[in-house]
Amino acid sequence: MAANKPRTSSFSRNVGVVPTSQVPGLKHGPNGTVFLSSGIADLDKILGGGFCLGSLVIIMEDPDAPHHMLLLRNFMSQGLVHKQPLFYASPAKEPRGFLGTLPNPVSLKDDKSREHDTEQEKTLRIAWQYKKYFEDQNLDSQKDGKVEYCSDFDLRRPLDRHALSGQCIDCVSLQDCPNLATLYDRCSTFLAQIPRFDGNITLAGRISIQSFSAPQCHFSDKEWDMLSFIRSLKSLVRSSNAVAVMTFPPTLVSPTVLKRWQHLADTLLSVRALGSDEDKDLAKLLTGYQDMLGLLNVHKVARINTQVPVILEATTYSMKLHKRRSLVLECLNQAPVDGSSGTSYATSGSCSVSSKTGAFDF
Amino acid sequence: MMSSNSANNLLDEALGFNDDGGGGGGGLLLLIEDRVETSGAFILHHLIKRRISSPNRPNDVVVFLSFAHPFSHYDRILRKMGCNLGVQKENKRFVYYDMLNLNYPEGEQGAEDLLLSVYGKIQKTVELCSSREGYKNSTIMIDDISLMEVALCGSSNLVLDFLHYCYSLATQFDCLVIILNHEDVYSTVDVPSPLLQMEYLANIVIKAEPLATGLATDVHGQLTVLNKGICQGSGCSKSKIRNFHFRVKENCVEYFYPGSRT
Amino acid sequence: MAAEAISRALRDGALEGEHAPALTIKDSIHAPLGAFVFDHILAQLSSNISSSKSQAQGIVLVAFARSPQFCAELLKSKANDAASLKKWLRIVDCYTDPLGWKIQLAESGIVSNRSTQNATTASLCKNVRDLDMLFSSIVELGKEVIRETKGRFAVAIDSVSEILRHASISSAASLLSNLRSHDQVACLFWLFHSDLHEMKASSALEYISSMVACVEPISNTANGKGMNSENLPLIEQNLGRGEFSVRFKRRNGRIRLMSEELHTEQMGINFVPAFEDHVTSQSLVPKVQFNLQLSEKERNDRAKVVLPFEHQGDGKPIQIYDGRRSVSESKTENKETNAEKMHVNEDSGRGEIIYIRDSDDEMPDSDEDPDDDLDI
Repeated sequence: MAANKPRTSSFSRNVGVVPTSQVPGLKHGPNGTVFLSSGIADLDKILGGGFCLGSLVIIMEDPDAPHHMLLLRNFMSQGLVHKQPLFYASPAKEPRGFLGTLPNPVSLKDDKSREHDTEQEKTLRIAWQYKKYFEDQNLDSQKDGKVEYCSDFDLRRPLDRHALSGQCIDCVSLQDCPNLATLYDRCSTFLAQIPRFDGNITLAGRISIQSFSAPQCHFSDKEWDMLSFIRSLKSLVRSSNAVAVMTFPPTLVSPTVLKRWQHLADTLLSVRALGSDEDKDLAKLLTGYQDMLGLLNVHKVARINTQVPVILEATTYSMKLHKRRSLVLECLNQAPVDGSSGTSYATSGSCSVSSKTGAFDF
Repeated sequence: MMSSNSANNLLDEALGFNDDGGGGGGGLLLLIEDRVETSGAFILHHLIKRRISSPNRPNDVVVFLSFAHPFSHYDRILRKMGCNLGVQKENKRFVYYDMLNLNYPEGEQGAEDLLLSVYGKIQKTVELCSSREGYKNSTIMIDDISLMEVALCGSSNLVLDFLHYCYSLATQFDCLVIILNHEDVYSTVDVPSPLLQMEYLANIVIKAEPLATGLATDVHGQLTVLNKGICQGSGCSKSKIRNFHFRVKENCVEYFYPGSRT
Repeated sequence: MAAEAISRALRDGALEGEHAPALTIKDSIHAPLGAFVFDHILAQLSSNISSSKSQAQGIVLVAFARSPQFCAELLKSKANDAASLKKWLRIVDCYTDPLGWKIQLAESGIVSNRSTQNATTASLCKNVRDLDMLFSSIVELGKEVIRETKGRFAVAIDSVSEILRHASISSAASLLSNLRSHDQVACLFWLFHSDLHEMKASSALEYISSMVACVEPISNTANGKGMNSENLPLIEQNLGRGEFSVRFKRRNGRIRLMSEELHTEQMGINFVPAFEDHVTSQSLVPKVQFNLQLSEKERNDRAKVVLPFEHQGDGKPIQIYDGRRSVSESKTENKETNAEKMHVNEDSGRGEIIYIRDSDDEMPDSDEDPDDDLDI
């Protein structure tokens, strides 16, 4: 069963997700929250609409593979497409260089063709009742003409130069940061230029911090300082119109600190590469194993302004390339033997690609 | 199905709190332990509502130290449960202290002074409240003790000192102290584990854990309530342990025994 | 037994020129009953003091974990003579304001002053980190309670764990050891939670003391981390009872071990001998259809039975049942009844062996060799 079909429906939460018409790239979520897109349509759907404004997203890296970079790139590129201010910090000496590797949205022409393409599939496979919904969906995403809520990024093509020019982009090297107070100040200055939430959002910012606890950073052995920074950043972001995405290699922090980081995250994801010995069994169990780039685990979904936990039908997804250019996430079609990657999650993916229609009624 | 709206649900029963949201009093410490997989914050929400919305105790306050979420978060959640925190804040029945940006200045002494000033605020509020007529008991809540440790750069000893002061205040003014901490954070910590110290201090420990079978849409986890009983003077009530499942909804939480749901 | 022995040792106090007896009470979170034991021993000692049976003439109680009011209430409720409490009890209050925060706040006018006042016989300790000061205030209060006589006083510390949180093991140990060797201290005892500290702390305290009382969970299953529904009843049980074992370091260099079971009850605790405990042994024996043990009556009845050889030579004809019946009797009796009786004695007050044949299938005993068919 092709998993990109239910992608369009099964994860959306039962809430009226209305686009904020004035502001591209933002939409209202439940409980007075506002979403911005992760840059990956499937991830948005899994999370119920995207990343919550004011939330801290933590991605646990695979120490052996750069999958977290895929997520970061899409997240950052999406922000630039929406002309949202961007803050980027990484352990590299020249973090600005990373901007050259950001993916470009699929051009309008290609886009059309893809749209058409999927449209056809839908008519083939999905009952007529749902057609109306898909039309609505498309309407949503195309309402603002050029700018969709979530773009389709072509990972092979770098972002156009002109997309970068004239934008508010702040880059910081974590190596050059003498201490975390400086980094905090930089974040704080960055967020200060984004108007605070007053019910009427006009602009949202994105903070992305790559490999925060990388060993080459001066502060990487000061675990309490790092925790303290994350806590402060979280409070800072919570009171502004921004989302912070931070990735870190979990193997480099002690287990107890790791747990604290996980608690601090509003949304907690982890990525894992395939190919280790234990994956050989996986290869036999899973359909489409050869096409997979890696696995994405959703451990926690932000719970802002609500006490109800988000229980996903599946927590493990495979990362794949659609048409060899855009990143898609699919439910695994078989349960992994034990998909946990160093973390203690016993809840590896249950794999029902459900036929639940969720958000809409007939 | 019992909901938090009915007079008593399994949680209230296990806590031994009576109908008007009171009970306990007399210097009780309630410790909530949760995990990354299963948040126990909903118990805090439930208890805020219980303590604040009782008409029998119009002069009791809830002092809330927030390390985890801004006021708006709690306001929205409690509103869905039928309790207007904004109004209660106006009435000075819900005293909210924003600790989200609490960071101590350099040095050990700085950290202690910081906690001292926070404690001073609590004591002042409780003293003021206790002088009012019809005072029964106040509640001191801390929504995330582990973040307090982070704010103090890991000096958990100071956090314990702080808790001791809250507890001694509670014995003096008949307060209930409610704190939330994360069990899994300390699972790999060698002695002395601050969590164990808190367990010794606590009269009631509530553990929120996922089910062994993982999370499901209709069962969000299980609670284990360990009620050590109260010793007053000579008599001691017996310790009890209760275990049941729960499902969190927007306006209430359902509690039920395993297998008792169809 | 063990608890009584402890109480006696504390009552008798120190011998001239020797260190005072010192008791460590330790528990862990799986059987957190140390405080009950502490209270019990404190109550025993105080009743001994108020009736002048003990060497100590007064107690200095160092309260870390519970408020002085609570402690005073506790003793009042247990002592027969509540009025005399003031005469022999002094409390060092390390509970109310251990770091001097309340004083500081009151001085700076942030809070009113009343929270630091208390009416009991407590003296406030405002800096528990300073153990030298703690030592001198204990001694000072001790001298006050014995009214500058030549007598001695007892010292009770309700949580050494709290001291260890503020001070190093060595300074805590030196405080305890100085108290022990102080010539006006009759005895001292303290409580601590062993799982809050490294092994080193536990060993140090045990080294200093002359008696070590340890409360341990009875069922070990509860030691496992998991609190699942299967072992909840066990955990619950451990909260109410524990194994109480005491190690006495005797003056002759021997070690004496004693052990009993400890139950919490409405009014404190109760000690029962560990191995003759009927209630627990019965509850431990699985419920079965048949009896594994004889009841009291059955045991008496059994004792009354006269065995066949016992009556011989008392004048009656000797009848030894040899498996054969006499030819005359057997033919009639066999048809009439299933039950075959053999009267051992006519005296009805004494027991008799009654043999009831199960069924006709069972052949009467014969002198047939049961191994007849055995082919060797």
